Amino acid sequence: MKIASLAVALAVAAFPVLINAQAAPATQSVKTDEQIILKQVMTDKRAVYAQNLQLTDAESRAFWPIYDEYEGKAKKLNDEFLALVDDYAAKYGAMTDADATAMLKTKMQIEKDREALKQTYTKKVAKVLPPVKALRYAQIETRLDNMIRRDVYGLIPLAQ
Amino acid sequence: MKSFKIALAATALLSVAAPFAAQAQSTYDDTQQLIAQIQADKRAVVLKAMALDDAQLAAFTPIYDAYQADRKQLMQRGVDLINAYSSNYDSMTDDAAKGLLKDWFKLQEDEHALIKGTAKKLDKVLPTARVLRFVQVENKLNTLLRLPGIQGIPLAN
Repeated sequence: MKIASLAVALAVAAFPVLINAQAAPATQSVKTDEQIILKQVMTDKRAVYAQNLQLTDAESRAFWPIYDEYEGKAKKLNDEFLALVDDYAAKYGAMTDADATAMLKTKMQIEKDREALKQTYTKKVAKVLPPVKALRYAQIETRLDNMIRRDVYGLIPLAQ
Repeated sequence: MKSFKIALAATALLSVAAPFAAQAQSTYDDTQQLIAQIQADKRAVVLKAMALDDAQLAAFTPIYDAYQADRKQLMQRGVDLINAYSSNYDSMTDDAAKGLLKDWFKLQEDEHALIKGTAKKLDKVLPTARVLRFVQVENKLNTLLRLPGIQGIPLAN
């Protein structure tokens, strides 16, 4: 699957979602929808990289173990994020300041950890691939990450 | 490769920049004008989405405007980075690729720090649920603004 087709598969009308989300109910289906998106994207990501990185055999042997290790750690962060959304949905409509403070702190920490993980593993990739291919890897990761974010954020109603 | 230089810098900043793309020239002034327009449009969306009462609005806007000023600098760095990528695209050296990666990651770190710092300031003047809402709105908008440009930039080769 090419990046473009993955984008189409994930496409949503995001601006209307942003505005309409104010009135949207928070339900368990939010988490379920996110899980579906994340699972599908995680499956498709490997194929996207395989198609777009154009690795030699030697590069493949060096790259894929790093990639799999990265995805394993990224999945933990995704699971933390899903747990946060679950908590958010459960408290939606009756959120206390303490709840919001805790969620904000957790959200910021997940974002910080995600960025650090991405940088750490891009550096690892850059040690086994030519820098231009490492840059290409970072570009693909950034594209996919933004597509996932767009769709996941679109599912989450704004705090009241 | 000049064709995607500033035009993509523009779409990288905002998907609704299309009406302005035709007037976008590879000049600093035009880029600044585009960023200013994007920020004005974004401000209107944010203020509507935040749904603040008058007192909250009075407390929010100075902090938000300071945030926007800092964000403008980050947007300009993003434009500069795309232009540097464009300039190197046809003959990308290892050193150029390393430099671009380093600058890109630094930009991401600074963007995260800016939102986090602004959330802390807002938390002193707004209910935390409104601060959480601000972070959500910013995350949504910034993701939407980045995506068209990211998708339009050819992968390194």
